[in-house]
Amino acid sequence: MKRKRIKKTFTLLLASTTLLALMLSGCGGGKSAVDVAPAGDGDTGKTASSGDQVTITHYTIDSEDRTFIEKLIPDFEAKHPNIKVKVEKAPYEQFDSKLQTMIAGGKSPDVTSHYGYGGFAEYYNKDMLLDMNDIIKEDGFKASDYNIPENLMNIYTIKDHVYGIPVNMYVTLMLYNKDMFDAANVPYPPSDYEDKSWTFDKMVEDAKKLTHVSDDIAKTQYGVDFTWSERDMRPLYFGVEPYSQDTWTNGGVPSETRFDSPEVIAAYNKLYGLIFKDKVSPTTEWSKSVAGQNGDAFVTGKLGMSIGGSWNLAGSNDFPFKVGVAAVPAGGNDKVRSVLFVDPLFILKGSKHPKEAFEWIKYLVSDEVQEKSIELSGGNPPVNTKAAEAYYKHFDGIDPADVKKVYEGAVKYGFESYNHLITNYSQINDMFINEMQPLDTGHKTVEEVMPTVQKKVMEIIKRK
Amino acid sequence: MSTIPAAGPQAPSSPIRSRRKIDGVRIASFIALIVTTFLMLLPLFFMVSTSLKSKKELLKFPPSFLPESWQWSNYKEIFETLNFGQMYMNSLIIGVLTVVGTLLSSALAAYGFARYRGKGNNLWFMLMLSTMMLPYPAIMIPQFILFSKLNWLDTFLPLVVPAFFGSAYNIFLLRQFFSTLPEELFDAGRIDGCSELRMWRQIALPLSGPALATVAIFAFIYSWNDLLTPVLYLSSSDKFTLPVGMSSFTSSRFRIPPWHLLMVASVLAMLPIVTLFAIAQKRFVEGIVLTGIK
Repeated sequence: MKRKRIKKTFTLLLASTTLLALMLSGCGGGKSAVDVAPAGDGDTGKTASSGDQVTITHYTIDSEDRTFIEKLIPDFEAKHPNIKVKVEKAPYEQFDSKLQTMIAGGKSPDVTSHYGYGGFAEYYNKDMLLDMNDIIKEDGFKASDYNIPENLMNIYTIKDHVYGIPVNMYVTLMLYNKDMFDAANVPYPPSDYEDKSWTFDKMVEDAKKLTHVSDDIAKTQYGVDFTWSERDMRPLYFGVEPYSQDTWTNGGVPSETRFDSPEVIAAYNKLYGLIFKDKVSPTTEWSKSVAGQNGDAFVTGKLGMSIGGSWNLAGSNDFPFKVGVAAVPAGGNDKVRSVLFVDPLFILKGSKHPKEAFEWIKYLVSDEVQEKSIELSGGNPPVNTKAAEAYYKHFDGIDPADVKKVYEGAVKYGFESYNHLITNYSQINDMFINEMQPLDTGHKTVEEVMPTVQKKVMEIIKRK
Repeated sequence: MSTIPAAGPQAPSSPIRSRRKIDGVRIASFIALIVTTFLMLLPLFFMVSTSLKSKKELLKFPPSFLPESWQWSNYKEIFETLNFGQMYMNSLIIGVLTVVGTLLSSALAAYGFARYRGKGNNLWFMLMLSTMMLPYPAIMIPQFILFSKLNWLDTFLPLVVPAFFGSAYNIFLLRQFFSTLPEELFDAGRIDGCSELRMWRQIALPLSGPALATVAIFAFIYSWNDLLTPVLYLSSSDKFTLPVGMSSFTSSRFRIPPWHLLMVASVLAMLPIVTLFAIAQKRFVEGIVLTGIK
């Protein structure tokens, strides 16, 4: 009797679970959150030409270097009495979730950027972005009037259609600890990209002089931390392109990748050699133990040189030692030495007021506002070449001439970061971090890991 | 912390002749308890200590145990840099309303499931339990559309109203408890002409203190820590809750997170939970034991 009862309960449980699973797959199978985004085209026609007041929403990250735009709103609204701007914010980790929920829920913001994990290519391939060509034509907008270099405009232009207007430009540069160089009596690295003596091998040589490995973790210091872009992009530094050329012209979907090729493997071996062969770079465990989760070991003063994004500069006034900036050394790629991170402003397809949104974007990239934004944001680098002069002078104790040289060299030898250009990038990046974990700890060799990586990259790219 | 005094009352009852032996064991267990307590409290200690350090001292290595100079001003600074007081209030309002809603709705539903037999009783119960398997992201978008159609965006309503519609886990917990109550009590009530709702209010609820305390604590902690829901529904800064404000500390990719302020916020954010637990602790532990044994 009791047994029968248990059986009955079990059947019920099974039945309800199955029912639930069916319901769920029924919802999930149709359209993904992003696909159901309203087409927007129908709404474009009825923008407020009659002088009615409209409200546009600017969606951004809730951190001071992003929310400073709130301080610009009164001035903008005074100049455009028919437009009101509302700023909607979310923490970095939840940025994409909230954006996709808002779009799916029919409450799409008007203006945003790829501030979350997803990059431009992801937004583009999910059909979230408005083609700005018509608005630009009607408005007569010219990038040159706003001192935006043409090559930066091209990054977010696909097949002659503009999808984003660049607003900030971060580059990859080298920060070095002047105190540590002085103590070891090593001359400072140059800021000039044309200095032919400044190579990867020279950097390793200098780093060896700065490295002291001791049993006492407090006394250990390393020469260089080479975090040049994300993991999948690093072979490019040595002149090896892991993604096929068509990636850059067709919206970030590579037809082919070469992560298991001997050239790519040699490039990674060179990088991991810094940790395990030359022993001039710290392991990830060491970095975590001195700087904490998400912390930057350079800030603790235990690293001589650090290659990274120019956002590292923003905190430099607070570092407990003297800082200098230098060029990224030449690594065998004649064209590319620095990774650019150009943040554009997009108009989303769900926007009900794209024209007014474009007015706001134009305001944000204008000379005067770009210059004002440097101070307000605490050091965001402008794309505007005129405002850039003010940016170079922004950092205490760092020679503006050095910052300028490093920036100009980086633009000349720059390539836009893969994370903005390749589709499904957040998944690719997660996969790289997971698969390369045994390399970071030294448990596997590059030769063992790369065939799996190659297979998985292709799988992710083919996902819709 | 509470485990050590709790061992105290046993002392007088130990037989005299084996006193020496038992003392040895007890000393050893005291030492073990003290060491474990110390280990458990170490992160807490570092949290408080970091909250009193200066920005420069944060980056020092090896980290110092105690702050070199005690920066009590950090506790003032957090109210100035962040809209901390407002966020605290918002979190409290939402938390208290969630607790009230969860207690009312879950206790009523659980009472029904525990005390009434009807056709398909089990089926409904199973169905209700199966909602526990729905992860939040699965209902996130439909729910967002629903609340946006109701014009509830940027209000506390989407965060509070769902609590008034019961939650499967809490209903399950309370049902287990209610079904341990003797049927005779309710029969007696019925004979005296007590209405069903009154039996719930005057017989079932007063006897279920431990279970209700457990549910209240769970509901409060859930609401207090919830990050995604407020992020989705709230957009004006003056309506933000504590987790939203605190996660923005670390969300900036471009700076060193201000750990000292984050720790101040964590210390202050912990207070209500610790207080609530201290008040309801006895009943809470009882509640877990009673409902668990069933």
